[in-house]
Amino acid sequence: MTTESQLPCILLAEDEMMLAMMLEDRLNASGYNVIKAARLNRCLELAESASIDLAILDINLAGEQSFPAALVLRRRGIPFVFSSGYDDQDVPEVWRNEKILQKPYDTRQLTAALNALRAA
Amino acid sequence: MPSYLKPVPTPAATAGKGSLTTKTRKLPPTSTMIVGIGASAGGLEAFKAFFTHMPADGELAFVLVQHLAPDHNSLLAELIGRSTTMPVLEATHGMRVEARHVYVIPPNATLTIASGVLQVCKPAPPREHRWPINTFFTSLAEDQGDCAVCVVLAGTGSDGAQGLRAVKDHGGLALAQSGFDHEAMTGMPANAVATGLVDAVMPVSEMPARLLAYQKQMHAAQQKKGSDGVRGDVAAHLKTICELLHAEIGHDFGQYKEKTLMRRIQRRMLVVQAETVTDYIEYLREHPNEHELLFREFLIGVTEFFRDPIAFEALRTIAIPSLLADKTSEDVLRIWVPGCATGEEAYSIAILLREAMGSQRGLKVKIFATDIDDQAIGRARAGRYRAPLNGISPERLERWFSKDRDDYCVAKQIREMCIFSPHSVIKDPPFSRMDLVSCRNLLIYLNNDLQERLVQSFHYALRPGGFLLLGPSERLARNARLFTELDKKQRLYVRRDDAHTRPRDFVSMHPRPFSGTEQPTPRHVEDPIDQQARQALEPWSPAYVVINASHDVLRFGGDTGRYLAPSTGAASLNLFQLLDKPLRGAVRAAALQAFASGKQVIRDGLTVSLNGQERSLRLIVEPLGPDELRDDGKVEMCVIAFHELEPAPHSTDPTTDGKPGGELTRIQALEDELRGTRMQLHAAVELHETASEELKSANEEYQSVNEELQSANEELETSTEEMQSINEELQTVNVELNSKNEALNRLNNDIRNLLDSTQIATIFLDRELRIRSYTPKMTELFHLRDGDKGRPITEISPRINYPELKGDVAQVLHDMAVTERMLRGEGDAPTFLLRMRPYLTFDNIVDGVVLTFVDITESQQLNSEHARLAAIVNSSRDAIFGFSLDERISSWNASAERIFGLSAEQVVGQPLNILLPPEPSEETRKFFVSHERPTRLAEFDMIWVRPDGTSVPLAISYSPVCDQDGTMFAGKLIARDVTERVRAERHTEMMMAELNHRVKNTLATVQAIAQQTIVNAQDLPSFRESFLSRLLALSHTHNLLARDAWLGAPLSGLVNNELAPYRPDDVRTNDARVRLQGDELILPPKHALALSMALHELATNAGKYGSLSVPEGRVSVTWTTRMQDQRPRLQLQWTETGGPAVVPPTRRGFGTRLINEGVPYELDGEVTLEFPPSGVTCTIDVPLEVVS
Repeated sequence: MTTESQLPCILLAEDEMMLAMMLEDRLNASGYNVIKAARLNRCLELAESASIDLAILDINLAGEQSFPAALVLRRRGIPFVFSSGYDDQDVPEVWRNEKILQKPYDTRQLTAALNALRAA
Repeated sequence: MPSYLKPVPTPAATAGKGSLTTKTRKLPPTSTMIVGIGASAGGLEAFKAFFTHMPADGELAFVLVQHLAPDHNSLLAELIGRSTTMPVLEATHGMRVEARHVYVIPPNATLTIASGVLQVCKPAPPREHRWPINTFFTSLAEDQGDCAVCVVLAGTGSDGAQGLRAVKDHGGLALAQSGFDHEAMTGMPANAVATGLVDAVMPVSEMPARLLAYQKQMHAAQQKKGSDGVRGDVAAHLKTICELLHAEIGHDFGQYKEKTLMRRIQRRMLVVQAETVTDYIEYLREHPNEHELLFREFLIGVTEFFRDPIAFEALRTIAIPSLLADKTSEDVLRIWVPGCATGEEAYSIAILLREAMGSQRGLKVKIFATDIDDQAIGRARAGRYRAPLNGISPERLERWFSKDRDDYCVAKQIREMCIFSPHSVIKDPPFSRMDLVSCRNLLIYLNNDLQERLVQSFHYALRPGGFLLLGPSERLARNARLFTELDKKQRLYVRRDDAHTRPRDFVSMHPRPFSGTEQPTPRHVEDPIDQQARQALEPWSPAYVVINASHDVLRFGGDTGRYLAPSTGAASLNLFQLLDKPLRGAVRAAALQAFASGKQVIRDGLTVSLNGQERSLRLIVEPLGPDELRDDGKVEMCVIAFHELEPAPHSTDPTTDGKPGGELTRIQALEDELRGTRMQLHAAVELHETASEELKSANEEYQSVNEELQSANEELETSTEEMQSINEELQTVNVELNSKNEALNRLNNDIRNLLDSTQIATIFLDRELRIRSYTPKMTELFHLRDGDKGRPITEISPRINYPELKGDVAQVLHDMAVTERMLRGEGDAPTFLLRMRPYLTFDNIVDGVVLTFVDITESQQLNSEHARLAAIVNSSRDAIFGFSLDERISSWNASAERIFGLSAEQVVGQPLNILLPPEPSEETRKFFVSHERPTRLAEFDMIWVRPDGTSVPLAISYSPVCDQDGTMFAGKLIARDVTERVRAERHTEMMMAELNHRVKNTLATVQAIAQQTIVNAQDLPSFRESFLSRLLALSHTHNLLARDAWLGAPLSGLVNNELAPYRPDDVRTNDARVRLQGDELILPPKHALALSMALHELATNAGKYGSLSVPEGRVSVTWTTRMQDQRPRLQLQWTETGGPAVVPPTRRGFGTRLINEGVPYELDGEVTLEFPPSGVTCTIDVPLEVVS
């Protein structure tokens, strides 16, 4: 994985390989450095230590939920957006206020969400 | 005749008054009328209503007698004071009663009145003797006479009825309170009305007006009364009224004491509010009913048991021992109680006798109790008396009466001694051969003539030595010689035998005229020729007479007038009374001779002077009748003919010429005549002597015959009278028997109707199994017909199967116990419950059996239905339990025990709300706590916590249990354990969410596939091919996963799916081109999807460029699992051989990227993809998750 320091770095937590690949392509095309995580432990590791500017967290990571990673990100002050195939109602109360991208989503939605994160 | 009311107060009424003697005043001094009002429970309302309607200006004073608790201060005066402006005072001793005042009885006191002054006596007698209303009414009646007014208002019991009788007896007015329907209120008013003496039954509100009108009328009437309290104008019309009554009712009161009658008429006049007597007579004519009422008024009788105890004591000590001493056990003791009214006196005598007889059980006693009042007789026959019974001691009450609710019934043995019958002692013949006649207080109402006649009747009715008991103020007067006085004071007499009486002038004794008249004797029809001849010869034939043996003339013939000269005195046909005196001697002599001899007698030489001329006469006496009779001297008739001869010449000439020869002749003739005359005289003297002798002896004979006839006649008369008396007695017995017969008939009808209406098959059998009777329903069980009564039941063919009948009957007769047996019908035939019990006669003797067959088919069906339902309830997996209307649990099935964790013993009988769960919903609380339940069905859920702490979700359904009318009588609840349902619901919910998630993820995957395929496609057709085949691969994998509910998919299946396009159809096993080798392994969905995508890319590549693109190419897929770091891992090897030489790809396409990058990423494993010239190889090594 190549990283270019001048580009903003985004943490993509997504266990679906096809989706991860597609998003990586898109984000790369949009000018982001992408680091991916398919499992929660990897995701936590990156959230804790990697130099990242933004994050997209799929709530369900191979059967585990990504909320611990979200806590870390919040603590670090790194803006993030959830993505999920579940409905809002399935998200625990404490996370209801966070931005959620409903799968499937298109480039426009993704871009809008990322822009919103960066603006915040 | 009733026993009339005595003018002396009754013992009970005066009892307890002590020294308060009362002087009866016929007239109160003022026009103030004193109204006694009695009431008990509910009386206050009635009092208030009464005074609300009573103006305070009338000439009325009121005395209220209420049943008060002795130890309780009464507020009665105060309470009533609010309803009236009149002063209301509590009565005190010595208080004078004044008009427009109300006096109230104080508690615990006896209130009476004397001379218009209230008498209060404290304390009241004990409760069982306390009849304050009776006591006051009685004293009021005695004090105020016909000015007394009594009113019986609401109350329970019968107090007041006895006092009311006293008021009526003295001619007062009696009112009783009606209920809503003009019928007397139950309790005191009804008991008062039952005396038959109440003048009016009306609502309380109408009473004041009635009382005021009555007072005015009384006042007016008193102005017209004479000093003796009787209106002068009544006497003038008394006869008319008596005649009217005689005509309508048939009883003549003409000989009753006028003053008594007049007082009673005045009473009726007041009641019907007639101003004058003529008005009343008019009323009487217009209202036929009034005759009856006046009749009853005349007959008013108050009687009680053992009235005048001293008189009964005299009876007990003097008369009864003497009566019983003469009697053997074979005899019948006969007693007559005329004027018995409602029977108290007759029963009293019966009780006395029964007590005195003691051991003499065999002696029969017949007490003939008679009265003209048939209503009274009816009451006497019934032998029921309303409590309390005055004058009778508690011991006697206990021994001779049985209590039936409010009534006392005379004991059967006493009742059987008395025979009651309507009978008028004046009109009808008396009874006879009586041992005792008790006629008390009847004579005082009759005038002297009638009294005398009745005493004579009683003398006649008594056997020699019999006793007569009269009332205290009655005496024998002119008949004193008939009886000997035994107890002067108590009027007990014994019959004297030396005087003879016979009853006189009984209407029914006058012989009826014979219906037929005597047949006239047929006249002999004379032949006309005979008649004419006789007429022609008449002047020539001698005059004659036909006489019989007693010398009475039977026929006259010819000119007998010449010889007959009727003498003065009584007219007679005796010949010798008729004949001329000169002829009598000669004719008598000739006639006697002819009768004696039976032969003809002829006498000549008789002279008779006719018209101054001497005529010679020949007398011919010829006996008549058959010769043989005449020969025997039995002559019944004679004809006497007077044959006149021509005048004799010698008798005329000598008298005219006077010659001596003539003298001699004349002397001769005279001598002849003298001789003849002497002979005649001699015969006559002889005859006379004989006749005289005969007459003397005949006379003696007649005298003795006469004597005999006289005595025979006497005897006949006596026996006629006895016959009449016996007849009377028989009629009495007959009436009694008739009424018993009627009662039996009625009972019989009742029983027949009962049997017919029961619908229960019943049959009565005697000891020999013969049918006695049966109910109609019985014909459904046996082929019975009417004629089968008396036949043995075993001969009747049954419709039921019951061969054990005979044995069962024998068993019942032997054991004397009830037997029951179930008779099951076959098929649809009904099932019967047979109950067989011994048939007991009145004397408790077994005389057969009674069989009842009760159809219990329905009940059996209900039973089995019930059992079926119970089985359903018990086997149900749901808790089913019921509760009763008082909210208690009544049933609890096995599932209820399981679901609620409570045993039946713990809950049955407990309140329903013990099932209220710890955290009830609003709906549950409504049901269990506030009992808000719908009338039909209710369903709600609740969570029950069992005693062991586990909880269970329940669906409750409630329905009320109603009877046929829809009235709820219980409730039923079903509780279903819905744990499984709740779990399934949750699962479904979860599944739905999961499915949603998966679809979205899948769509996202498809989106990614499309995106990646587009990026890598050279043109649209190649895009389409790649894209569709990838989608198809994805779809195949989905199919495999769906087959096992997304739990997993077999690896071999995935491989086969991807290689299928390059193999012949339906080949699934290894062949020359493809080889699969590995354990059967189920992959989790994530692995399955990722691996299938990788395998698809490998297979597509092999098919396009690799070993599968040529027929001789081979693909081998092998896999193994192994453990690494205690986690299973899969190692899969893809190897191609025999294909064209492989050239490594110049460009990194989507497939390569997916295999190299995607699979390791997603499955956290390692992938090696190599392109040696011999063929593509790929090694995939990934950790496996354990498929659960």
